[in-house]
Amino acid sequence: MNLMQAFKMAFKSIASKKMRSFLTMLGIIIGVASVVIMVSVVQGMNKRSMERFEAMGDNKIEVYAYQYYETSGSVSELLYEYCLGMQDLVMGVTPQVDVWREITIKYGAKTFSTQNWDDWEKRISIQLGSDQFGVCNNYTLGGGRELSFLDIDKTNKVCVLGGGAKTLLFDFVDPVGETIFINNQPFLVVGWYEPSGVEGMSSMDNVILLPYTFNRTLNDNQQIQQYVVKAKSAEATTLAIAKLKAFLGGFITEGENGFFNVYSNNDWSSQVQEQSLMQSLVLGAIAGISLLVGGIGIMNIMLVTVTERTREIGIRKAIGAERKSIIVQFLIESAVICGIGGLLGIGLGSMGSLIAGKFLLQGMKLWPSATITVGAFAFSVALGVLFGLYPAIKASSLQPVDALRAE
Amino acid sequence: MLIDIRDLYKIYNEGQESEVRALDGVSLQIDQGEFVAIVGASGSGKSTMMNVLGCLDVPTRGEYVLNGTDVTSLKDKELARIRNREIGFIFQGYNLLQDLNALDNVILPLIYRGTSVFEREEIAMAALARVGMDDRAHHRPSQMSGGQQQRVAIARAIATHPPIIMADEPTGALDSKTGRHVLGILQQLYREGTTVLLITHDDGIAATAPRVVRLSDGKIVKDEHQEVEWL
Ligand SMILES: Nc1ncnc2c1ncn2[C@@H]1O[C@H](COP(=O)(O)OP(=O)(O)O)[C@@H](O)[C@H]1O
Ligand SMILES: [Mg+2]
Repeated sequence: MNLMQAFKMAFKSIASKKMRSFLTMLGIIIGVASVVIMVSVVQGMNKRSMERFEAMGDNKIEVYAYQYYETSGSVSELLYEYCLGMQDLVMGVTPQVDVWREITIKYGAKTFSTQNWDDWEKRISIQLGSDQFGVCNNYTLGGGRELSFLDIDKTNKVCVLGGGAKTLLFDFVDPVGETIFINNQPFLVVGWYEPSGVEGMSSMDNVILLPYTFNRTLNDNQQIQQYVVKAKSAEATTLAIAKLKAFLGGFITEGENGFFNVYSNNDWSSQVQEQSLMQSLVLGAIAGISLLVGGIGIMNIMLVTVTERTREIGIRKAIGAERKSIIVQFLIESAVICGIGGLLGIGLGSMGSLIAGKFLLQGMKLWPSATITVGAFAFSVALGVLFGLYPAIKASSLQPVDALRAE
Repeated sequence: MLIDIRDLYKIYNEGQESEVRALDGVSLQIDQGEFVAIVGASGSGKSTMMNVLGCLDVPTRGEYVLNGTDVTSLKDKELARIRNREIGFIFQGYNLLQDLNALDNVILPLIYRGTSVFEREEIAMAALARVGMDDRAHHRPSQMSGGQQQRVAIARAIATHPPIIMADEPTGALDSKTGRHVLGILQQLYREGTTVLLITHDDGIAATAPRVVRLSDGKIVKDEHQEVEWL
């Protein structure tokens, strides 16, 4: 009996046992699909948190400094000058101040408030910063210009819009040159930033940036305490932190005339990475277990049919089948069933991933990774073939009479 | 001489307390074209005898020469060939594959034989016609009566035109009328030159064979020729 014949025989056997073939396939379909979905979701979640992190920026140094009495000039100016002096390490420095008091923002008939806590998507916040605010916070200029040093020095009534604020106020109209009213004061829009592009991050985009010198009027002249310094690289971050600590320590003695703290987001980055690694491990383990459960299902259905098939093998041997042709037939039979089941499982898993992405990860386009898909497929098929082959290997080595005796 | 066994033993659980000598030193010669009934009470070793003669089982010891070949030294491949080409089996429980229709069941031995695709169906249909089952070719075993299933099983046994037919209680599960029909087919095969081995516990059925070999406790106790009632 040749291979072609063995193939035909296998297909005939599959077709003639539709129910059993289907049940076997079902085990594999479910096993593969659940692993594929599981792993896609984890990978999607990891991707999401990395995206968010990257949108906020790497190598970002947060500086917190406060003086009981401002002595030798404001910290803002001192820090600004000091950072200019280490341009080999630093790309920019800016105060980072939120205006917390209620502010209304108007353009034409539209009004927005900084205190609209009921509808986050429509809340706009006012941020105070320097000409280097964009660089420090990873914003990309979409049009117009950044704040200038002069705007800050002269406390010019100008502003730069975040991507979200631009859409809320102007839809798709170019806002540069328009005037908006902030607490009824006219402000000229000089530029706007591209949206960060990360879903669920409207708070990052619904901002209006004003020169930090407005701190005096908008925040009741409270001292600015928070700054961001953007370093050029991870190594530069470490160096800059050391330098900044030394510099601030030069005129602030902790607890005596103020306090300060310098730390970097990079610490947090490694934390995020560690966390996502943990997530991967946990969900990988869950996926492994579901594969195992699927595998046991496959094993079960294959083993349940062993006695039935033992008798079949006895009959086939009695009418002249060689051991080899029986094994080849069973091998092809299981490989075909498991292969088809595996492919259907990948299809179902991919669909499931898309649906999971839509509902669990805010419409993220989740697509299972090739490695996992191929791995789950190979594992299931190998298991199915192994246990599909088991009755053939066992029964074909029996005397035909013993195989025929199986009930 | 077609079948020649000498001092043949089949011993289960040898040396243990539960030892059973299903065949206890049997010698038997059967010529080509004979019709032999092997009779005996239940448990006397008839089925064991047929299984060994049919290469479905191996003897514990003893000689078995089939058509000049020492069968005890053959490997799986050659034994499969003998079961496929030299012997056709008919069992009490039919042993059809339940998932295949009558035609496909009959085609199966032809596939293992390597008969060309173009001839198989024709040969199988002819075999079914021989037993009057060609009109049920596309029925599954579950859609047929016991007598019909046994006729399909006979068609399968004769499809490769083997020189020997071995039937173990072929009428055991049938009513007497269908039973007689089946025995008639065996007699017809015998008259056409096929060597037929019929196993039965029923003396009435054994009366259809010209030669009767009687087994008791694994030993041959009688071997004689007789007048036959032709069905
Ligand atoms: N696989 C087996 N293991 C142990 N004893 C067996 C086995 N097969 C048959 N026997 C025993 O061998 C004897 C002959 O059995 P068998 O050839 O089936 O008798 P018969 O067909 O004449 O009724 C019986 O005693 C039976 O119990
Ligand atoms: Mg018996």
